[in-house]
Amino acid sequence: MSTDTLTAPAPAHLAAPSRLVSAELLKVTSTKMWLGMLVGVVLFIGIGIVATILAPEQPGVVVPRLTTPEGLRNVFGQAGGAYLFAIVIGTMGMTQELRHQTLTSTLLAEPRRNRVMVAKMAAYAVIGAVYAVIGVVFGYVLALALLPLKTHADIPWTAMWQIAGGAVLGCALFAVLGVALGTLIRNQIAAILGVLVWVLIIESLLVSFLPKFGKWLPGGALNGILQATGPNNTSYLPVWGGALVLIGWTAVFAALAAATTQRRDVT
Amino acid sequence: MTTASLGATIDVAGLTKQFDTVLAVDDLTFSVGPGRVTGFLGPNGAGKTTTLRCLLGLVAPTSGSATIDGKHYHDLPHPMRIVGSALEATGFHPGRSAQNHLRVLARAAGIDERRVPEVLELVGLVDSATRTVGGFSLGMRQRLQLAAALLGDPGVLLLDEPANGLDPEGIAWLRAFLRYLAGQGRTVLVSSHVLSEVEQTVDDVVIIANGRLVRACPLDELTAGHSHVVVRTPTPQQLADALAAHAPGARVSTEDGSLHVVDADAATIGHIAFGAQVELHELRPASSDLEEVFLSLTGGATS
Repeated sequence: MSTDTLTAPAPAHLAAPSRLVSAELLKVTSTKMWLGMLVGVVLFIGIGIVATILAPEQPGVVVPRLTTPEGLRNVFGQAGGAYLFAIVIGTMGMTQELRHQTLTSTLLAEPRRNRVMVAKMAAYAVIGAVYAVIGVVFGYVLALALLPLKTHADIPWTAMWQIAGGAVLGCALFAVLGVALGTLIRNQIAAILGVLVWVLIIESLLVSFLPKFGKWLPGGALNGILQATGPNNTSYLPVWGGALVLIGWTAVFAALAAATTQRRDVT
Repeated sequence: MTTASLGATIDVAGLTKQFDTVLAVDDLTFSVGPGRVTGFLGPNGAGKTTTLRCLLGLVAPTSGSATIDGKHYHDLPHPMRIVGSALEATGFHPGRSAQNHLRVLARAAGIDERRVPEVLELVGLVDSATRTVGGFSLGMRQRLQLAAALLGDPGVLLLDEPANGLDPEGIAWLRAFLRYLAGQGRTVLVSSHVLSEVEQTVDDVVIIANGRLVRACPLDELTAGHSHVVVRTPTPQQLADALAAHAPGARVSTEDGSLHVVDADAATIGHIAFGAQVELHELRPASSDLEEVFLSLTGGATS
């Protein structure tokens, strides 16, 4: 009788937290979206690097040149461009559950909502980090291939390792930030549009043209982590400062998101 | 082997849920025991789904409690191994396969993933296991919901409108399956807005309307007091007089030219008619249509 096997005790071979993280990762890898996002990562970083290396100099705006260490760090910093896709996929990680009404199943499997939230954030941090690694490897290879076409300063190997580490940390944090924002905004289209408009337009303008204020925003902090130098030789926060500020932003939004889900009715 | 102690009792006590301006559930109290299939009935919007969501910890009650085996859902150690549920408005990612949907749930709930092919087999979805749910019919989605409910081999099953979207063959299969599960000692609560859909399956009914309890009783008690005898005779007045004289408890009414007699059985009526030399053309016990009883109890407010 098939039901006899049904009553066999299920081995809980994994502790609850890793089970939940593993379930969240399976949610991501069992649909195709993460691959589409990965294509986006590669295209976005590719365009960024090609533009930074090959673009003619713009009159009026002084951008660090390739012949300076700052200019080269900006090139390799472009390889950290996966942050944009990390925050978007993180946002969708939560809004899709609401859109497709899978949140009910998720909470039936694990009704302790804080655990679900932490597991989701941990899983998306992993995905953000994986995107960062792929983006950095691709971006560095592309940059090293293109740089010989131009006169440039010495390749900053040490800084490249630091930037790679920063990209992994930054993308992981951006993905977590995305999960938090998706939880707070809830509506998928509003959340994605909001995130894109903020990151690509509003924040990007503030960071470039009001750096005294912009460097404290998540995107400005990320610039610090990636050792970028802004127009007119604007410098951002030091790496450790940027990391602390970005961790702070992420923690605040994560806490807000966790607080709102505790007692919200799931209907 | 499963035992009769498999199921647990569901207790809803003074449950009230106010959504903004809507009082969805209003001081509802009932309990559901193991080894039986209980129909949870009421018109659409009566508060069935809200009650089930309170039981599952998805909706926080305004007051009162909804517990399984005396515990709140989030206090159960391995909830999906104790309670399996299939709720309406529970969705699937259209791009995820049936098999992966179940694997995600099994993994999150700490259930052995070897259970996945077993439950797919139980609900007849083996051939569609690797297809994405986006291409599933409503009936297939219902089966997948049921498969998810069965993943943890739970002693308590809460199924919200499980017959929706099933074809007649599927409904017959569902009936047999629910009877089989209850026969193993499990507690099975099935909601429906159509009594006729579940009347061949359920032992007990809990009927609610406008968030309030209307009746909670075994199914056959629902029609008790509603059965009557239909009598046709060319001389109805003569028979009515004879019944009044010899069976004073019987209540007689006239409908469509025939008499409807309540509280007297056909043999008694035949005997009295014979004694009074009343000619009979028809003498037939009839039970009220369950659906009519249901509609009268719930104020006919079905949609």
